[in-house]
Amino acid sequence: MNPVDEPSGLRRRHVLGLGALAGVAAGLSGCGRGFGGKSDDDGKTELTMAWWGDAQRAGFTQKALDGFQAANPGVRVRTEYQDSSPYKDKLAARVAAGDAPDLMAMRFDSLREYADRGTLLDLAQHTTDLDLTGLTPQAKALGQVGDKTFGVPSGLNTIGFIVDKTLTDKYGVPIPDGDTWSWEQLGTFAAAVTKASGSKVYGANFELWTTANLLVFARQHGEDFFSPQGKLDVREATVVAWLQLAEDLRARGAIPPAGFIDQNNGASPAQSYLAKKSIASQIIPTNNLLGFDQACGGNLQLLRIPGETQGARRGQSIDTPALWSIAAGSKHPQEALKLLDFLTNQAEPAKLCAATRGVPPNRAIAEQIAPTLEADNKRSSDFLSKLQTEKLPPSYPYPVGASKLTNILKSISTEVEFKRTTPADAGKQFIAQAQKALTA
Amino acid sequence: MTTVRARRQDNAGYLFLLPWFAGILFTVGPFLASLYLAFTDYDLLTAPRWAGLDNFRAMLHDDKLHQSLQVTIVYTVISVPLSLAVALGVAMLLDRGVRGLAIYRSIYYLPSLLGGSVAIVMLWRYIFGYQGIVNHFLAWFGIQGPGWNSDPRFALSTLILLHVWTFGAPMVIFLAGLRQIPAMYYEAAAMDGASPWRQFRSITVPLLSPIIFFNLIQSLIASFQTFTQGYVISNGTGGPAESTLFYNLYLYQKGFAEFDMGYASSMAWLLLIIIAGFTAINFLAARYWVFYDN
Repeated sequence: MNPVDEPSGLRRRHVLGLGALAGVAAGLSGCGRGFGGKSDDDGKTELTMAWWGDAQRAGFTQKALDGFQAANPGVRVRTEYQDSSPYKDKLAARVAAGDAPDLMAMRFDSLREYADRGTLLDLAQHTTDLDLTGLTPQAKALGQVGDKTFGVPSGLNTIGFIVDKTLTDKYGVPIPDGDTWSWEQLGTFAAAVTKASGSKVYGANFELWTTANLLVFARQHGEDFFSPQGKLDVREATVVAWLQLAEDLRARGAIPPAGFIDQNNGASPAQSYLAKKSIASQIIPTNNLLGFDQACGGNLQLLRIPGETQGARRGQSIDTPALWSIAAGSKHPQEALKLLDFLTNQAEPAKLCAATRGVPPNRAIAEQIAPTLEADNKRSSDFLSKLQTEKLPPSYPYPVGASKLTNILKSISTEVEFKRTTPADAGKQFIAQAQKALTA
Repeated sequence: MTTVRARRQDNAGYLFLLPWFAGILFTVGPFLASLYLAFTDYDLLTAPRWAGLDNFRAMLHDDKLHQSLQVTIVYTVISVPLSLAVALGVAMLLDRGVRGLAIYRSIYYLPSLLGGSVAIVMLWRYIFGYQGIVNHFLAWFGIQGPGWNSDPRFALSTLILLHVWTFGAPMVIFLAGLRQIPAMYYEAAAMDGASPWRQFRSITVPLLSPIIFFNLIQSLIASFQTFTQGYVISNGTGGPAESTLFYNLYLYQKGFAEFDMGYASSMAWLLLIIIAGFTAINFLAARYWVFYDN
């Protein structure tokens, strides 16, 4: 008989053999705990710390951590960082897998997603290890949910309008007074730049879908956007006005035509349309001023958001680009608290963090380091200090589900941009979808 | 004697299957877990709660889910036949005995390896951006092109183009299939005066039909599972205006961005059913057009 044709079939012995091999394989995978785990073989306690940002921020952060490790030889800090969007997804998966970093950067709009599900340590219970008395009530409120504290601001910031003065000088358009300008003045100014440049440079651009931007606009209309109880508190008419504002600006040539801006271009200063000299002004979080000024040639002016003196009330507030949170399941909470206290209440690390994370939340430290900051950071720091002396609406954590609003607003504003729907319809849709996102 | 050889062959077979068995150990667990999670309300951070058929009921009223299905089906229905046609066309050209075939084969195969990569999708964005290469070209003729990636009317078509460009994998398989067709059939047909088109229809297609069928099923399944292109080009949002919201991208958003892993799991099982359905239809239809030589 030809051996190839011989019906072989699975024999008992083979099956048993395979079973044994499978057992070995399972055993091996059982031994695999060393992969990526914590090795304490040199007797040091290893803390994991995760945050988002770029290489520049990584450099400053590492310097601060070196200081901490020098002062605490028994602790080693393993740090991980990546871009903000993948960070968000990865953090969710890590926390779900029970592998949360001991100390982690937390998005302001996601704090309650994590806190309300019991994954974060209540810092208010650990005031002996972590001193938060130096924080202003405003700064403290950013990480508070009820009487619990789940996050400490890594820095303070707000949003501001940056204008490339090199471009406006080139086209002979004067920059309006940034403390008092109106949305109407923004339109006039930006349209003048576009016209003078022969549409080579568009006067302005800002992201309609960034919640923080619309939030300021809503406050100027007398609303909170999110009520302190975590409900949606913005009128449909205000959202319609926001979308209509953009349509009017587009019609005047103040902002680029539909499709010009690739909304998924990426947020880094070097990739920005401002750095490419396609636009002359845009809204940024003020802690990024240093990065943008370096990417755009070093002649940026920092203005407030338009409409601050014409609206029903002030719109801008003191916010944070990111909070620091500690995992509820951390195996080394004492050391994590110590590290957070070090970053928050010591001048040297606070200064290093301040370079890209905004003004230190500890007021005394902020004042102490202010004279030593480099020019761009000094400017954004002064900008914020001045705002801090004014009476502004309070800022508090967004409700659960708030992080979904960006995508909703992105989709709806794009529909308006391409005339597939009207601002009036879009406003209605937004309210319906946002309410659903916040209750689901 | 013969039994020893046979057993040796068997053993060798199992030995080569070992990686697969080892792999199965790591897949079966998540596979069963996702089946369970599909029937739960699970937010990743707290324990799953049994929810029965709630997830599947919610799907009926989920506009975004319907949008993602539409995007995926449009993408599949257009890009799969198109890329197979291009693959077959190029394979037939190369089969004519081009000098340096190996080089051409490699060149055309290359995009298949690169197509799903982040770098290529980034490149695509530069080519089709508002101020990209395509619009620069159009500007010579006084035409202001749209933002091919940023305009919801065109964003999906640039991704279809990207898919078609990666025709290399089916092409290599077609090429191997074409090599199996005996040249004498063509010679005989030519002698009888059959045109090249007639030869293509009556010899190439029937004899190649099992290969076409194989490629079709492979491409179909891959196309339904498209993720990377949509993720990179839209930064994970499925934008502009949900025009590139692939099914798997929405599944990912649900699971990892919106903390709704139960729903995401049920979506995964729905996708399995959809793919199985499409594959079954193809197998049924295959009876009428796939020709096996034996």
